[in-house]
Amino acid sequence: MGYQRRLYWIAMALLAVPAVIWLIPTVWMVSLSLQPNDLLARTTSNTALGLLPVPFTLENYARLFAHGETPRWFVNSFIVAGGMTAAVLALSATAGYAFARLRFPGKTVLFAVVVGGLMIPEQAVFIPLYTMFADWQIHNTYPALIIPRLAVPIGVILMTQFFKGIPHEIEEAALIDGASRFTIFRKIMLPLALPAVTTLAILTFLYAWNDYLWPLVSAQRQEMFTITLGLASLQSNFAQSEGLGRVMASGVVASLPVVVLFLIFQRFVVRGIVMGSGK
Amino acid sequence: MSHHRSILAAPALAAALLAGGVTPAAAQTEITLGRFFGACEEAGTDIDAAVGEACIIQSIINAFDAADNGYTVETLPTDWGNYYDQIKASYAGRNPPDVHVMHRHRVPEFAGLGAIAPLTPEELAAAGIDVDDWAPNALDAVSLDGQIYGVPLDFHANLWHVNLDLMEAAGLVDDDGAPILPSSPEEMLEHAAAVQEATGKNYLAADFAQFPIGVRLVLALLWQQGSNVFSDGEATIDTPEAEAAVGAIKALFDAGYADAQLNYADSQQAFLNGEAAILVNGTWVVDFYDSEAAKEEVALDRYYAAPFPTLFDTPATWADSHMWAIPRSVKADEPETFEAALALLAWINDHNVDWARTGHMAVRESVLASEAYADLPHRSEYADTAEIARDVPPTQKYGAIQDVLNRELQAIWLTGKPVGDALADADAQVQDLL
Amino acid sequence: MAIPRTTAAQSRAARPPVTGPARLLPALSLKRRTTLEAYAFLAPFLAVYAVFLIWPFMKGVWISLHEWNLLAVAFDPSAKTLLGLDNYRRMLFGEDLSWVAFALWPIKGAFVAAAGYAWWRVRAGSGTRPVALWLTVLAIAAVLLLGWQPAEGGRWYDSRFWPVVGNTVLFVALTVPLTTAAALGMALALNREGRAATTMRTLFFLSQVLSVTVVTLVWQIMFSPTQGLIANVTTAMGFEPIVWLTSENLAMPAIVIASVWWSVGFPMVIFLSGLSQIPPDLYEAARIDNAGAWARFRFITWPMLRRTTVFVLVFEIVLHFQVFGQSHLITGGGPNDETQVLVRYIYQTAFRDSELGQASALAVFLFVLMLGFSALQLRLSREEG
Repeated sequence: MGYQRRLYWIAMALLAVPAVIWLIPTVWMVSLSLQPNDLLARTTSNTALGLLPVPFTLENYARLFAHGETPRWFVNSFIVAGGMTAAVLALSATAGYAFARLRFPGKTVLFAVVVGGLMIPEQAVFIPLYTMFADWQIHNTYPALIIPRLAVPIGVILMTQFFKGIPHEIEEAALIDGASRFTIFRKIMLPLALPAVTTLAILTFLYAWNDYLWPLVSAQRQEMFTITLGLASLQSNFAQSEGLGRVMASGVVASLPVVVLFLIFQRFVVRGIVMGSGK
Repeated sequence: MSHHRSILAAPALAAALLAGGVTPAAAQTEITLGRFFGACEEAGTDIDAAVGEACIIQSIINAFDAADNGYTVETLPTDWGNYYDQIKASYAGRNPPDVHVMHRHRVPEFAGLGAIAPLTPEELAAAGIDVDDWAPNALDAVSLDGQIYGVPLDFHANLWHVNLDLMEAAGLVDDDGAPILPSSPEEMLEHAAAVQEATGKNYLAADFAQFPIGVRLVLALLWQQGSNVFSDGEATIDTPEAEAAVGAIKALFDAGYADAQLNYADSQQAFLNGEAAILVNGTWVVDFYDSEAAKEEVALDRYYAAPFPTLFDTPATWADSHMWAIPRSVKADEPETFEAALALLAWINDHNVDWARTGHMAVRESVLASEAYADLPHRSEYADTAEIARDVPPTQKYGAIQDVLNRELQAIWLTGKPVGDALADADAQVQDLL
Repeated sequence: MAIPRTTAAQSRAARPPVTGPARLLPALSLKRRTTLEAYAFLAPFLAVYAVFLIWPFMKGVWISLHEWNLLAVAFDPSAKTLLGLDNYRRMLFGEDLSWVAFALWPIKGAFVAAAGYAWWRVRAGSGTRPVALWLTVLAIAAVLLLGWQPAEGGRWYDSRFWPVVGNTVLFVALTVPLTTAAALGMALALNREGRAATTMRTLFFLSQVLSVTVVTLVWQIMFSPTQGLIANVTTAMGFEPIVWLTSENLAMPAIVIASVWWSVGFPMVIFLSGLSQIPPDLYEAARIDNAGAWARFRFITWPMLRRTTVFVLVFEIVLHFQVFGQSHLITGGGPNDETQVLVRYIYQTAFRDSELGQASALAVFLFVLMLGFSALQLRLSREEG
């Protein structure tokens, strides 16, 4: 085992350099967010190249929550990401259940049509979607930020794959007992699909939280910005009005939920990626 | 305007979380206002205490909002980068802000498409805005085909912001304490060499790599030779005059007296750090640089705001105007909101001198003639700038043309494209747009 | 918490016995009922899918056939003109173009060489015919399509389009191999138990969950010659700060660096799962044969990872063709369009220039460009599944 251990530590030592490089930008962002703005206007390398927050201040965070739109954007992001997650789950689970467990005419064709939708990138539909929503006058609303992503087929495909893997016997027994399809779906299949549902939920939430192009086009009012979009607007303004530390604090705040979510649900994120890659 | 938010806009979740944030108070007319200038979170309502564009304009708006006048204002600031994209998108979504700021150069586009409402002098007068008090060029700035399309806010122009210490070291300050600026491209090179020699610093800095500040610099030199980028629908960029204008700037880069790779923030930082004797930038930063120069820890010490020097025959500098416009739909369908928007514009018009504190030039004759205006810091140094203000001819494609020029000029400074090729390409692309 | 090594095994575990419920019960009524139920379950998704994906897609193609000004049409729906394929003509072609056979010869040569190699492998019995055919089609297309340029006095109708396509391809060509190589290296080194390995897996993946605006915010400042960390380091070492974002040669590498940093986690996880599927006894056998580390990689790991690698490559290509935020927020497409990419060009054409027709034609072009890769990806994931 000595050879194995040695190999292990050689590998870790070799990776230490890239690991530090990978970590530095994030550390720097956090460190800048903890330094006074007027100092940063003059130098960003005050202590240890700026990697240590000395002098230290929480003022940027205090200002961020006391003024400005950041708290509102934060709430918006939770509404949009939460709403999108709930809706994607509902739509994908029901459709996935039908595709995986029910026999009906037209199934093959319909499933092919759904899978074909994978080939339409977001960028191929965002202009017509924009004009449609403009005609309906629903831009700058939560539904406008949520709806476009609901039509994406990947969730249905994931759920179909998963439901296919559940043994049929349980369902049959319930059917013989006279339970309705919906009851079976809700009481039996959905609980069994919890791992897949969780995975899909996390991935959808991460996607929604981080989406940029569609909110940029659809939300013109700052009150409707998501935190991701709001951060971009702070970025282009900071040279003129915001301080560097303040913008970095917004970046940290914008990242916290996804980072925490990721750290808690890592397994599900990884499983989702592996499932998505068709394994 | 909140009625535009359809029923779809209020899912229970949103309502629960944001209760009270959306509904306007009863009996108050709420107007939405769109603007750039950046965000100012601590603006408050004390107009006199505010410094910088963002805070001055926001304190003016806040004071109106707080006043007991039956109106409330919801400011919808957006970032510079996407401002016009987002304003247009909001028009296309039939939900533009009730009043929004814009540049005069956008009037042909917005008025031409029927987006913004023409305003009559009578309507303006009824709201307390005296059109006759506007300087003639201000009235001109907001007019198109004899119609008034907005309320002017300012003139802004490119200045030469000067670090007097560096200039003095190179012997470029006269007995009155004013900087000695060049009167020809050759002299500019001599001055630059002198600064380099005496201080080791760059002569001139500007944003040549990001926003079209460098474009405006070249445009000024073009106008100074009586030329332009286009006239009567004919692109005229591939000319000896353009070559001379570009050549004058390029000579600075080639000799190492200026750095073409600085963007807006970096060029400003270089100037404040005392690394460049001159920064070419707009009027909007005069009060900011003035307050920075007063700080102990900022390297820039003695600051002077000079008008753009004449390097060729006729004095000229790039200039534009900020103005406020009201959507046609608001005027047509929402008389109460329209009236409220005009009241707000009257208020902003009344505070023209406060806005001028930023460094911008006022638009009202009564303000221009006032002592308060003349006493503003550095104002006397560049008082003549209004007379030499120029811009390209009105066009619906202003933004796209500016982008072409910015790209091709960057190609010259940053990627070594031959001047002739770049000008020919710019000429062809501008011609396509016209 | 940790990124687990053996996740794929779980999803493979449950394979149902294939028995249909329908056969056990009275046929007709149940069949009918099931059909109704199935459509009831499908209806919500299919409705959303039709209205918000299929229909907009067709409408996008429709818009691309028009002169369609964003504002003008919004104010007056009849203010559009049917142009047919003019937008496409303007986008793709020019006047007085001439074809220079040996222009861009390194790229053409690479394609031809790849196709030749594939056929050689087919003859040797180790390659597959479809791959060789596919590469041949690509090579012919590359030879015939590359090298068109305006002759004396000629010009492209849209002088920005092909350079922008070129930038996008360059971005993909730099980012995808770098990301894939880095991810593979990390996966190989981290495919083991232990706290240090676990922590590092988390660390390398962490940047992936950040939003593009956070990533661009950090890297924009990182690269700044006056405020950036990189400049701080070079200055401390006594060098001039490197100018990244406004430099002709370094702006693209800068956004590539930021993109690799951002997106290495995803392929790393896929590689880890691929590695976990390699049966350990293969390595045992190799060890008995005294095979060295390199031999084990070359003859076991690499062949077993082939499919995973192809999947990762295709996935990354599709992903990075859609690059927008990095270009929009870090460099603004500059300097001189050096980092302007397709999606940003679409966005600008639509929302800055209001030319929805032209922008939609660009979007259709992007769709066609990615269609081939998506089809390949789909095929691969089917084969694997």
